[in-house]
Amino acid sequence: MWTSKTFLYKTKRGNILKIVREHYLRDDLLCGSGACKTCPHKDDEIVLMSQAESICALFDYPHYLVLDTNVVLHQIDVLEEDALTNVIILQTVLEEVKHQNTAIFQRLLEIIGNKRRKFYSFVNEHHKDTYVERNPGEKQNDRNDRAIRRAVAWYEAHLSINRVNIESPRVVLLTDDENNRKIAQDEGIICCSVKDYVENVNGFPGLVDKLSKNVIPENCSKDALYPAHLTPTQIHAGIRNGKLYQGIFHASRDNFLEGSVVVNAFEKSILLQGHIGINRAVDGDTVAIEIFPEEEWRKPSDIVLEDKSEDPGDLLEEETVLLKSTKTNSNDEVTPTGKVVGIIKRKWRQYCGILMPSRLPGATRHLFTPAEKRIPRVRIETRQSDVLASQRILVALDSWPRNSRYPLGHFVRALGPIGDKDAENEVILLEHDVPHARFSEAVLACLPPNDWTIPKEEINKRVDLRPICICSVDPPGCTDIDDALHARRIKGTTDDGLKKYEVGVHIADVTYFVRPNTALDKEAASRSTTVYLVDRRIDMVPDLLSSNLCSLRGGEERLAFSCVWEVDENANILSTKFHKSVIKSAAAMTYEEAQIAIDDESRKDEIASSLRVLNSLAKKLKRRRLDNGALLLASPEIRFQVDSETHDPVEVQAKKLMDTNSMVEEFMLLANISVAQRLAAEYPQCALLRRHPAPPPVNFVNFLKAARQQGFELDVSTNKSFSKSLDEAVIPGRPYFNTLLRIMATRCMQQAVYFSSGTCAQEDFYHYGLACPIYTHFTSPIRRYADVIVHRLLAACVGCDVTHASLLDNKAADALCDNLNYRHRQAQYAGRASVALNTHILFRNRVEIESAVVLAVKRNALQVLIPKYGLEGPLYLPSDKFTYNDEEHVQICGKVILKTFDELTVRLSLDSSNLQHRKLIFQLVKPYVPDFSYKVEDMDVEFVEESDLPQKIEKKRKGTEAKLSKKSKKK
Amino acid sequence: MPGPDLLSSQGLRLDGRRPNELRRIRCKMGVFTQPDGSAYLEQGNTKVLAAVYGPHQAAKSKSSTEGVVVNCQYSMATFSTGERKNRPRGDRKSQEMSLHLRQALTAAIKTELYPRSQIDVYVEVLQADGGAYCVCVNAATLALIDAGIPLRAYACACSASMAWHGGQPEPLVDVGHVEEAAGGVVLTVASLPSTENIALLEMSHRLHMDYFDVVLSRAMQGCRDIEVILDKAVREHLAEGWTKEDVVTI
Amino acid sequence: MADLLLSSTEKIFIVHGVQDDYRSDGRSNIDYRPMELETEVVSHASGSARLRLANTDVLVGVKTEIDTPKPDQPGLGKIEFFVDCSANATPEFEGRGGEQLANSISNMMQRAYQSSQAFELKQLCILEGKQCWKLYIDILILESGGNLYDAVSLAVKAALFNTRIPFVKAVLMDGGNVDLQLSDDPYDCKHLDVGCAPLLITLCKIGDKCVVDPSAEEESCSVISVVVGVTGNTKSYCSGKEIDSVKSLERKCSTIGMNGSGSLAPQTLQSAIMQGMVAAESLDEALGQALLRERQENVILKKHAYGFLK
Repeated sequence: MWTSKTFLYKTKRGNILKIVREHYLRDDLLCGSGACKTCPHKDDEIVLMSQAESICALFDYPHYLVLDTNVVLHQIDVLEEDALTNVIILQTVLEEVKHQNTAIFQRLLEIIGNKRRKFYSFVNEHHKDTYVERNPGEKQNDRNDRAIRRAVAWYEAHLSINRVNIESPRVVLLTDDENNRKIAQDEGIICCSVKDYVENVNGFPGLVDKLSKNVIPENCSKDALYPAHLTPTQIHAGIRNGKLYQGIFHASRDNFLEGSVVVNAFEKSILLQGHIGINRAVDGDTVAIEIFPEEEWRKPSDIVLEDKSEDPGDLLEEETVLLKSTKTNSNDEVTPTGKVVGIIKRKWRQYCGILMPSRLPGATRHLFTPAEKRIPRVRIETRQSDVLASQRILVALDSWPRNSRYPLGHFVRALGPIGDKDAENEVILLEHDVPHARFSEAVLACLPPNDWTIPKEEINKRVDLRPICICSVDPPGCTDIDDALHARRIKGTTDDGLKKYEVGVHIADVTYFVRPNTALDKEAASRSTTVYLVDRRIDMVPDLLSSNLCSLRGGEERLAFSCVWEVDENANILSTKFHKSVIKSAAAMTYEEAQIAIDDESRKDEIASSLRVLNSLAKKLKRRRLDNGALLLASPEIRFQVDSETHDPVEVQAKKLMDTNSMVEEFMLLANISVAQRLAAEYPQCALLRRHPAPPPVNFVNFLKAARQQGFELDVSTNKSFSKSLDEAVIPGRPYFNTLLRIMATRCMQQAVYFSSGTCAQEDFYHYGLACPIYTHFTSPIRRYADVIVHRLLAACVGCDVTHASLLDNKAADALCDNLNYRHRQAQYAGRASVALNTHILFRNRVEIESAVVLAVKRNALQVLIPKYGLEGPLYLPSDKFTYNDEEHVQICGKVILKTFDELTVRLSLDSSNLQHRKLIFQLVKPYVPDFSYKVEDMDVEFVEESDLPQKIEKKRKGTEAKLSKKSKKK
Repeated sequence: MPGPDLLSSQGLRLDGRRPNELRRIRCKMGVFTQPDGSAYLEQGNTKVLAAVYGPHQAAKSKSSTEGVVVNCQYSMATFSTGERKNRPRGDRKSQEMSLHLRQALTAAIKTELYPRSQIDVYVEVLQADGGAYCVCVNAATLALIDAGIPLRAYACACSASMAWHGGQPEPLVDVGHVEEAAGGVVLTVASLPSTENIALLEMSHRLHMDYFDVVLSRAMQGCRDIEVILDKAVREHLAEGWTKEDVVTI
Repeated sequence: MADLLLSSTEKIFIVHGVQDDYRSDGRSNIDYRPMELETEVVSHASGSARLRLANTDVLVGVKTEIDTPKPDQPGLGKIEFFVDCSANATPEFEGRGGEQLANSISNMMQRAYQSSQAFELKQLCILEGKQCWKLYIDILILESGGNLYDAVSLAVKAALFNTRIPFVKAVLMDGGNVDLQLSDDPYDCKHLDVGCAPLLITLCKIGDKCVVDPSAEEESCSVISVVVGVTGNTKSYCSGKEIDSVKSLERKCSTIGMNGSGSLAPQTLQSAIMQGMVAAESLDEALGQALLRERQENVILKKHAYGFLK
């Protein structure tokens, strides 16, 4: 095993240190070709086919492809197509790609990992015959190009040893570097540019469209429209000497010619205006900016400007509209203004949108309009424009040369017809970065068989709770049941003579199936959460687990992780224990069924009595929690009634909230808190917890002002006082007012986050909304990965399972939390986008007149909420009719004064003039303002009685934090 | 997974070795004339000189009737590390290394043969590129043999670390500086491979108990591999300069 | 130094040999013992050399660091010598045992290199008054077989000759900060001009005569020795066409030191110094030739250092 290897060293000079690294060259590296008879391949090590059939008309013999780094970086979309196979990826290339772009690197790894694609990664840097040392005076890139050519030549020679009678494959180098091609040709290497190769590929018509346009355009003669960007060194030097600033560019939603950059040195964000000011920066890019002298500072324009729908060609239109309107009058409103002088890092991803086909018949260059308003339109080249025009498509950005008005991109794939439910859902998922591909083979291989039953020895290891009457209570139609409960009277009394009960919360034992470090585990960790769209659920774990083996269905034996307390009748906890168990749920009930069982006094069975005990205990728990200062918040959420055939929403409905909802919630909270306490004690450094920071007072300023206008002084100093003053803020006759207040309060909150106990001081563990010093998520491991980790930690500390290394690793825990928080947030946004989509579908063919409330008063609009639909949007007020009072935040028109929390009546309709951005139009009906309000012929149609307003709308999942998870409602 | 990628997707380490491969070991015995025994040993870019004086009469304070006192000094040349060291020895780490060296070597030397005596072992690290302690033990063993001091067995030391390859734990033998600096666990074992005994075990960072065995056995395998190399070097050294006739006359 | 046990007759034999210019190992009084020299033995260091003079073994590593120049010498770099007497040489050096000897050698070297005619510190300047290189010359004495001063000075000169300093572009930024820009090409560096670096020549007074390169035995017969630092000749260290452009410099004495408990007559001292100058000249020339030859071999053959394996 220990053959001697030639030893070479590479010296690198970092700073002033001379660093010497060992570099071993090997003679046991395989070429991976089936045509090779010299390398001692095992069967599974052959990747490249011995008969690699050519699909390119330029080369009529079998061949392998070798790519250079830039080809991989720019043409990854071409590579991801199934067309090109038998490709050799050199380590030189792999490392350069990794260094330059991790996202593309991941995609490349995925292609290499796909057996059908026949991509072989060859470790040329450690092969004794293909390693090249850098020559004096040679640039790193030149050296790498040389290394690639050396490897190609080696392959060619290596394969030709066998080229006696059989036709063994040749090797073709694909590179877009003309100079490199010339040298290669001189050295006798067959080479070709990607464009030439792909354009001559037979049988894959769509492939050409995917070619990246990141090549120097042939017509360089065209005048440059934009100023050139500075070089990285210039930027670096500029930032160092303080002339330039670095920041992330945020494009304005409303005005495509405006954007801002947040820079450390300035309190206000820096305003960028016009094509030249933005200079080809795209939302999210890290840019270098130069700040103008103070006399040139402006204030942000408040106009809405959309890119015109015609393709003006490569011209920049006059920007006088913008500049004129932003002439400053007072000095307080100007913000620092500057311009982009260079791009430090692009943050381009793939964008969803629609194609705006060119007017010219047969043209190949078209404009693409992204769904995200902040992204500029993109010019792409495709020959399938007539097909794609009616589709939602995905496009990748390639480059933005100086002489092009729009960035250049290429078509990646079609998502489906515009307006089609699946296509629109796909857009939502892609735009929110929700991993939703089908589970891979590797993941599915980790699953137990479909007919899996609990093995005998597993039952022996666990506490057998099958005889106990356990039941689950969930919303109707719930298939991923991850919790069940039981309660029973136990013997004896406490010292005070109170009755004693045993209460158990049983959570699906997902970690029994999802073992650490398996493909299944990694996939679940990456997804982090199940995402609920209105008509679709994107599972975190495959269906077999989420809806069957882990789901605690009635009458079936299931593995569970149990948390069992002894409590007295006042709901004081006497003892807590955790153990893994086997349960057999007696019944899987809906909230309604459970409520009926409790209320129906004739029922004396075990289930009913158990539920009654739970219910009475829950009420005490809740009372105590509220007394401690827990906030009851609200959020305008709706549920759609979906047509069973088309899955289109037909009506919205508000759900009644029953005692049983809060009963389940209370015990889930209790379980989570108990687990959090245990974990924090056992793992001071790496327990996964959830905290909710108290909102800073500044968040409340506008809210308090609005409440004052309605005559209420709220005390927000602590959550306890806040909760109390919210309870007291009731206007008789306006029952919705209190709910509205709570909705608004929700928006003042911070986001609750997962964190690892080692990263935070003990006092920051506090959960503001729940008013408890420590909290975590334990009760929904089927749909949240955080709970999976918590299960593993808890299992290890109660001795049910072994720990594993990454569980105790601080850094890993921290990275995990970041991903959990990110995915959690994205899942919420996606869910909301889905609701918006369905609301639009609902209003496709109808117009409604509804009562509404004012959430906020803006300069030119009111932000209104339609409680019935949970819909929110702007009601624009013309400035010639209304005057805006800055101090009081009210709009005045004659006698009509509009202020926050006011109730109005509005007319709702859908504006479909723009396919991309269909939007709901709100028109004022009441109070009536002449020449502005919409006149309803028959004023008493569709008047919704206030008493019909949903008192409190229940969230889809009764999640333990149902109230709090909604506080991210802020737009 | 924790730790940076120490293994490429092809299963090679950063320097091109496979997980079970040692660095290149080259050594020479008898590099100096004045000490009773001396040796030079390099593992990759870690290079160490060892010199042995003795056994000689022990200093009174150290003397022991039980057996020979092994006196060790670990010293690093000021230019041996990437960033220059200010002092060659006397710092806490060198003192700890000296003690560890003494522990491993005392286990190998037949100490009972020389009561009231002392053996001085001096090691000088010329270049440090990871695993300096291991290389010192191996070099000192050669120097002891060069000095003709009776040993129970070769004392060999080797380090091992952990990496992940395709979701599976994969221990790495003979950890280099880059791998050490990556922040993973480093388990160092000094053992007498022919007796399977462990003379010293030291571990930095955290290693989960589940993986301890695999890492340890990889380090032990490294020790055994090193023993083979040292044994070959000793035999070659002894054969040097001896012709067939010389052997006959003896 | 190694505790040598010499009998008085042995000592008399050595003294008589020196008197007759025929020393116990067969050399004349001005002969050096054979030596082996190799550069580039420590790959971590910017420059390195190992010199073995009979049983004396010296390893020198040169490390570079960025530093700020002294305010009174804004245009000059810095150089510092550090000697470590390894216990490998003798158990007496264990712990801090070798410190005294080490200090006297490093002080001697520091003094010999102080003059700008001996070593041009200007070449270590990066940006005047702001940034300069600091050279750490670390000398490790691995075995001691007499004549440490000479061996050390030879090894140091060889190591400096081997030293390569990366090209650094320094730009003065606002606020007096200096930004250093480094080339990513490892070949982008310069050699130091070390032609006139001094060599130390020890003249050991045995009986009435002085000898060069005393062995450890001879050193123990001597009560006093003179160490002379003599600057080198740049010409010996230039190859090819450079040779014509360089002026031959006169050798100068850059330092003188005395070791030992005895004393010297002024005439003896003067003749000793003269003798040292002569010895230095031939030694310097030989060193230059050897180093140039090795550099060439390194470039052409891409040879790797043998180090201690030879």
